[in-house]
Amino acid sequence: MDETLGGADPRGRLWRRFVVFGVIIVLVVAALGARLFTLQIANGGYYAGLARENRLTLQPVRSARGLVYDRNGRQLVDNVPTFTVKVRPGELPMAQRPEVIARLSMLLDIPEPEIIETLDRGAGNRFELVRVATDVPTDVARVIAEEHLSLPGVEIGVEARREYLYGPLVSHVMGFTGAVTGEELERVGSLGYLHDDVIGKQGVERTYEEVLRGRYGVEEVERDARGEVVRVRRTLQEPEAGDSLELSLDVGIQQDAEKAMKWAMEIVGLERGVVIVMNPQTGEILAMVSLPTYDDNAFARGITSAQYQALLEAPGGPLKNYAISENFPPGSTYKLVTGTGALADGEITDQTMIPTKPYLSVGGYRYYEWNKQGFGPLDIYNGFGHSSDTFFYQLAGMLGIDRLAFWGSQFGFGERTGVDLPNEVPGLLPTSEWKRRVLNERIYTGEVYQAGIGQGYDSFTPLQVINAYCAMINGGDLYRPRVVRRILAPDGTVVQDFQPELIRKLPVDPEVLRTMRQASRRVLTLNHTYNLVDLPIVVGGKTGTAEFGIRDSKGRLPYHSWFVGFVPKDPQKRASDPEGMEAISRDDSELAVLAFAYDSRTTGNVATEVVKYFLQLHYDLDVDLRQRWLLERDNFYGQ
Amino acid sequence: MGTLRVQPARLSVLGGSTTSGSWNHFDLQLAFYALALTVVGLLMAYTNSEGSPLESGSVFTRGLMWLAIAIVLFTVAAAVDFRWLRTFAWPIYLVNLGLLVLTLAIGSGTGGVSRWVTIGGLQFQFSELAKILMAVVLASYLSRRQHRLKSAGAILGAGMVMAPPLALVLVQPDLGTSLVFGAMLFGTLFLSGARLRWLFLAAGAVVAFIPFAWENLLRDYQRARLYSFIDPTADPLNSGYQLIQSQIAVGSGGFFGKGLTNGTQTQLDYLPVQATDFVGATLAEELGFVGGVVVLLLFTALLWRVLLVGWRSQDAFGLAFASAFASMILFQLLVNFGMVMGMMPITGIPLPFITHGGASLTSLALGLGILQSIATRKGRQAW
Repeated sequence: MDETLGGADPRGRLWRRFVVFGVIIVLVVAALGARLFTLQIANGGYYAGLARENRLTLQPVRSARGLVYDRNGRQLVDNVPTFTVKVRPGELPMAQRPEVIARLSMLLDIPEPEIIETLDRGAGNRFELVRVATDVPTDVARVIAEEHLSLPGVEIGVEARREYLYGPLVSHVMGFTGAVTGEELERVGSLGYLHDDVIGKQGVERTYEEVLRGRYGVEEVERDARGEVVRVRRTLQEPEAGDSLELSLDVGIQQDAEKAMKWAMEIVGLERGVVIVMNPQTGEILAMVSLPTYDDNAFARGITSAQYQALLEAPGGPLKNYAISENFPPGSTYKLVTGTGALADGEITDQTMIPTKPYLSVGGYRYYEWNKQGFGPLDIYNGFGHSSDTFFYQLAGMLGIDRLAFWGSQFGFGERTGVDLPNEVPGLLPTSEWKRRVLNERIYTGEVYQAGIGQGYDSFTPLQVINAYCAMINGGDLYRPRVVRRILAPDGTVVQDFQPELIRKLPVDPEVLRTMRQASRRVLTLNHTYNLVDLPIVVGGKTGTAEFGIRDSKGRLPYHSWFVGFVPKDPQKRASDPEGMEAISRDDSELAVLAFAYDSRTTGNVATEVVKYFLQLHYDLDVDLRQRWLLERDNFYGQ
Repeated sequence: MGTLRVQPARLSVLGGSTTSGSWNHFDLQLAFYALALTVVGLLMAYTNSEGSPLESGSVFTRGLMWLAIAIVLFTVAAAVDFRWLRTFAWPIYLVNLGLLVLTLAIGSGTGGVSRWVTIGGLQFQFSELAKILMAVVLASYLSRRQHRLKSAGAILGAGMVMAPPLALVLVQPDLGTSLVFGAMLFGTLFLSGARLRWLFLAAGAVVAFIPFAWENLLRDYQRARLYSFIDPTADPLNSGYQLIQSQIAVGSGGFFGKGLTNGTQTQLDYLPVQATDFVGATLAEELGFVGGVVVLLLFTALLWRVLLVGWRSQDAFGLAFASAFASMILFQLLVNFGMVMGMMPITGIPLPFITHGGASLTSLALGLGILQSIATRKGRQAW
């Protein structure tokens, strides 16, 4: 029996084993206890900190975006609460991705590739939310919320989106907000934008982004492991609502301007048209119409690729603001520069008579008068009034290209006006230096002639044209055009009241500009603009016909029509001033209006008819002088 | 008790005098420690219940129900003469293998494993029961060979007996439980007096087997868990995540803990499976160092009483069974609690009494019942 457990005292041997086992137990428990001590007592503070970090995170609190009003306090935009669908890619398992995307695609009516692209574009941290859809209907949001178990990583949020109350009417000025892109984030990164944030994309929404956005607050929230906020612990910084904008735009004037242009566009079948109304005394833009237009609400609601593609391909290119984002030859409107320059440089006086001819010959080329006949000897008033090409060829020849360019640049041509809207282009003002640099040639006399009548290389934005006229109209102050007058705090107090910003004072005797204003009146009194002169108010202005593109089979070029008009402060015609010359001589006009009709090719000057109709509407005139026959499609060639 | 007139078949062969059960020898301390640990487990169930703990179907109410079943099972096992178990060791062994095969055949689990069998809406993990049944079988096997324990043959034989259930559990796959089987085998052989040289040799063979097992038996996720144990920060969002979050949970508990249901790590779901394998983290986070030490001391006391029952039984079966039971508890405590504190790799081994689960609790109750049966029917056999 003793042999069985192999010793003289098997019970004793086993006892030793039990003791050893007991020691092992004590060692195990001691090791566990020691580890417990290390973790909880020795390093307890460290781990407590980690636990706090785990669940407590700082998160931004969105601020209410500022609103936008017109100059009369009419609200143009509202913030409306909507549902958004966002995805945290890091929480969407790869294996489930296809089915989740397919389901979202079905529910949200967004093509799958688009969702995939959105998710992949939101690079960076895979645990940041990526916005997939904005303005989701309530019932769809509810379905997604109910299916959250089978849609991992998908979150429904409530968020304010922009509702543009006048939509297409002011969308080129207003612009819109949209989901911030990676590029934009890089640009504004330090300003605390979120990956799923919105940012102003166009119009004043973009230029005044910082003003409108306000300041995001910061709060400390407790989250569970899925990232869901369990509760807000404290607010470290209250969000500050964005300030609001008061535009210089007047919705009423904007409506009149759009109505006038739309009327002509429909009759003629024009592709594009621009109307700008400004106050020459301040540089404020009262209306800026660029047709065709688009509804910025489409973007605010989260435009789909298909919708966006359709807008890109729509006739006329509705997404572009043609008032500032494209250059056109200014045609005869540019004779303002040539005439002012010749008078200011003393090449002529307002008495100087210059012979006009059927054409001028230079180096074997003929430069024709627009009526191919000439008008006989003319002074500056009648030269401008008849818009005589040979008259201004000769003035341009006297000035030479560089003096001509100097005067153009003094009027702001060839440089951005600095209007508070995005995507402005600078225009092209040719000089001899430019010709040499770009085309490696000296400039020819014929080209100088062309430049003198706003043809050839001359290429400017409609805003530059009207702004130049404003400087002439107000007696020589070139202002920076603006669409925003004031910045208002959320409580309505004025934060900033923008004063007229002078770009430069034209280096000319005010007499010269008075001469040009009178010459502008002569444009009407000579009936160059048909019955425009019959309006019961005094109007001055200048027409323009600008050839562009390629000659047709008869050697004719298509052309745009321009008209820039202005109305003195007290415009009613008076018996004491039958010609209106006294009124037009004043520099107190508070209304200048430009119309530009792209590729018009009509019997008469379409732009003039648009301005005429606009003035009738704006001044509520009891006459209707519109002449539809002037809007017949033709290849009328005149100035 | 009086009904148990029929003597267990083989008892006479051993020639020992028989004793009828005496409740005077009921080990109250052992029962108390076990109950205390179970109460701690219920507290954890309470704190880990989602929603109201008192709702039917919550972890807590299910825990109460299992406790009731466990008490019944314990009482029955304590009342039955343990020597019957030795008599029916082989049938028990076959039933055990059958249950494990059944688990493989119709069992379910997460991630392509089969661990649970659902009976009447309740999930049951037979591998838990298998531990106790194997303790019975092992004790029975060794008690019949107590005279030959010095030979390598008995050790090899014990290994052969243990091998089939171990393999069946391993292919579920449940690496943790198969390791528990291994620990029970070693612990029991050691305490039963097997030759150390054979034990060392067997241990050496196991170590030599590790590279082969690593290549051929471990699944990817198991390898990932082991890698993560070596460097938890290498893959902090997946397999290393639990280790890191668990240590944060334990560490942030501090001296007195955050208080029941106030654990942020566990209550906010930073730590997955806090109700089962990582219940120790909840415990340490909410009850702190004090709670952790109390639990460790309870385990120590429990183990001491278990070994004492075995020692005092003066019965080879009783001694071997108590050894197997103690080895099981100690190993599970070390691996589970160690895992929670980042000392051990992640394996699905429950913390005895505290991890929620009916199979674990009822199996432990069965084992404790058998121990009480041993305690109350001590053999008078001289060694």
